[in-house]
Amino acid sequence: MDPVRRHRSEAALTLAIEDLVVEFHSGRGVARVVDHVSLTVWPGEIVGLIGESGSGKTLTALSVLGLLPGNARIVTGTIRLSGQSLLDLSEARRRETRGERVAFIPQDALRALNPVLRVDMQVGEPFEIHRHTPWEEAKRKAVELLAAVHIRDPAARAREYPHQYSGGMQQRAMIAMGLALDPQLLIADEPTTALDVTVQAQVLKLLREIRETHGTSILFITHDLGIVAELTDWVYVMYAGAIVEQGSVEQIFQHPSHPYTKALLRATPTIHTVHSELVSIPGHIPLPNELPEGCRFVDRCPVRFERCSEEPPDFEVGAGHTARCWRCEAGP
Amino acid sequence: MSDLATSGTAAEGFSSRLSWRRHGLLGIGAILVSLVLLAALFADFIAPYSPYELNVVNMLQAPSWAHWLGTDELGRDVLSRTLHAARISVEVALVAVTIGLVGGTIVGIISAYFGGIVDLVLMRLMELLFSFPAILLAIILMASLGTNMLNAMIAIGIIFIPGFSRLARAATQAVLRQEYVEAARTIGMSDLRILGREILPNVSTPLLIEAAVAFAYAVLLESALSFLGLGAQPPEPSWGNMLNTGRGFMAQAPWLGIVPGMAMFLCVLGFNLLGDGLRDYLDPHLKD
Repeated sequence: MDPVRRHRSEAALTLAIEDLVVEFHSGRGVARVVDHVSLTVWPGEIVGLIGESGSGKTLTALSVLGLLPGNARIVTGTIRLSGQSLLDLSEARRRETRGERVAFIPQDALRALNPVLRVDMQVGEPFEIHRHTPWEEAKRKAVELLAAVHIRDPAARAREYPHQYSGGMQQRAMIAMGLALDPQLLIADEPTTALDVTVQAQVLKLLREIRETHGTSILFITHDLGIVAELTDWVYVMYAGAIVEQGSVEQIFQHPSHPYTKALLRATPTIHTVHSELVSIPGHIPLPNELPEGCRFVDRCPVRFERCSEEPPDFEVGAGHTARCWRCEAGP
Repeated sequence: MSDLATSGTAAEGFSSRLSWRRHGLLGIGAILVSLVLLAALFADFIAPYSPYELNVVNMLQAPSWAHWLGTDELGRDVLSRTLHAARISVEVALVAVTIGLVGGTIVGIISAYFGGIVDLVLMRLMELLFSFPAILLAIILMASLGTNMLNAMIAIGIIFIPGFSRLARAATQAVLRQEYVEAARTIGMSDLRILGREILPNVSTPLLIEAAVAFAYAVLLESALSFLGLGAQPPEPSWGNMLNTGRGFMAQAPWLGIVPGMAMFLCVLGFNLLGDGLRDYLDPHLKD
């Protein structure tokens, strides 16, 4: 098992999602978008949650924040943050956790910043909200935070508006805001998708640095396997609302076990596959109300057999490494 | 350094956008509005005579060097009364527009933010107010509140609430779709703080433009009420009651009607031009 995960008691977990089910209720019926998801993040660990668009990874994250859209509902499951059950908290107590104990870094930083407020007013805002810090001091702390995320000339740049920042700086400012109160958990929802590759590398480096210096746990949501390989310690692969494979980053990349994970890896260009052809996965992710019988990947699976009409359980294929596929029944 | 650079480009943009061809009307509006505001503020110093001083010997005098715009049926100086009337008009319009702006913004933002049944009830209430002709509603309100200037301000203010509330609601709905509102929730902002910090600053521009246009309308409504004897009470001068008096002397002393009428016309024109000009100037869609 991964060194971070070894010899730890469950009580130390930063985030423990257990058996989470989220459903959408609409006029056309019920759509189960997160289906019995269990996921853990340990202190100081960077966990990748990967999957295609529509696989339910963002909704899983929003469940942790308690910010699901109005027509979505948590049916069952528990979410614990450092042992405290979040779903039992009142909305007011829940709000106190946001920004203070869990921070969220969104995909598009420019659209997540208020266009009419100066950057320091926004980066310092968590102090104002949770600590009732006076404005002048909050703004001073914002400058320190901007310096900490390597924004040059932070005192001057803090007085600017978000549109005067480059894309990378906007994302840094969002990270600075997230870091303000030194939260235990940082949830990053594809924070580098909108950025150039070089800027992307700088942001990833910054996230690693934050983990080293603050011991912050990071749940990193992405569809980019390259980032997962580079940044994360532990990986969850999500498909159509369920986690189909989990393992350490080495296990996932060296011994992918679920056919979906294998297909994802074949569909990603790397230095080793430069001469071989990229393979796209045929078909598309099924809609939550059109899931096939049995295994949810069956329609797109190249190695399906009779057994797949029955829903497979998680099979252990390595230390802590599980895959939800009948092909793994016999072991790795 | 960077401050200097940005202010430089901002000033360039400002002067090129203020070209006469595109913003001449805004300028005319601004000049007319400033004249009205100056008259209102400094009526005591500018006016050559007291607006109340009776001088029956001089009644119904035509414009002359002593009385530039003539005298009325009681011998009062028309210029002085017109200048003082500007003060009442501006006062009433200012208070009324403030009531409408604040009330309408609160109703509209709450309606859009909470949605559902709150939205339904508030908007039906606003439509009820909207369904009355403005002057009729003002007369009903004045009749039930009693005739004095404060009640005129309140009545006109209430008339403005539905218009502002619709505008605020539409603008808020647009802002609510923005990601920064969602991002504000992720750092633990409360509803009240989101309303004040994220939504209000982003919806204020269209509301302020609407306020300039509403100002013109408020001046007209105040005059209409005073004309009907429901607003400013004699001897207090108001363009509306001056016009009403002038109506009786159209043949002998036409300046009694023409002067307050022109004042009203220029004031309303000024605020309308200012409102339209500001809209064009501030609207990003009309910038090229």
